[in-house]
Amino acid sequence: MDRTDTGRAGMNRKTTILDLISRKLAPFMLLFGLYVLTYGHASPGGGFQGGVVIASGVILLFVAQGVEAAERLFPFATLSRVETMAFLAFIGAGLAGIAAGIGFLGNPMVLVEVSAAPRAGMVLLLNLVIGIEVGSGVSLICLRLFREE
Amino acid sequence: MKSGRLTAAAEILVLLLTAFFLYQGLRGDHGEESEIRRHIIENGSSETGALNLVTSIYLGYRAFDTLGETMVLLLAVSGGLFLLKPGSSGNGHDERGEDGYGQD
Repeated sequence: MDRTDTGRAGMNRKTTILDLISRKLAPFMLLFGLYVLTYGHASPGGGFQGGVVIASGVILLFVAQGVEAAERLFPFATLSRVETMAFLAFIGAGLAGIAAGIGFLGNPMVLVEVSAAPRAGMVLLLNLVIGIEVGSGVSLICLRLFREE
Repeated sequence: MKSGRLTAAAEILVLLLTAFFLYQGLRGDHGEESEIRRHIIENGSSETGALNLVTSIYLGYRAFDTLGETMVLLLAVSGGLFLLKPGSSGNGHDERGEDGYGQD
């Protein structure tokens, strides 16, 4: 009871510094999360780490801008739909390996003679899908925790 | 006071042992030469397409394991959202729940 009251009062006493910094920082956090995702096959990082970085950007928006404002950008229904779709896409992407004759979740691009970047094809795709799922999942839980009703 | 000194000595001993074993691990020469390590270092990139060998293991050789991990995450989020559903029970129940959290 007390905690939610102070939380609501804190939400109203939003300072200019918090408002400005969160607005400027959140896009870069989302961008860095996407960078960690897309370069996970070549450098340290990957789906789970990048997804959590993306989620931290979303959570910063939730905390600093208030749930109502941030939910216009990341609606609850869309986040949950995206998470489920990402999981289905993971399974669907695994079928490409079967079609290429390697096996479930195999990388068909290793059969083709191409340069290093497109060779990662399947790994890059799986990293992206995992990152989207982790990011939306962690944001969903935090959104549900922050929302006061 | 004596027991305090003994505890401090034990703590220092544990820290020194930890540092010793960490140093052993960090030096790089593990002594034992394993076949799978040699195989992954030589063929990991060409067999899975990922330059990062860690990624080549968890999305190449062990991708099915990662699928299970993703499934666990999906189920955990679904269960968490189910338990945190607001307004599913009456107001009195919500009060009790908040009190329980407050005591924690």
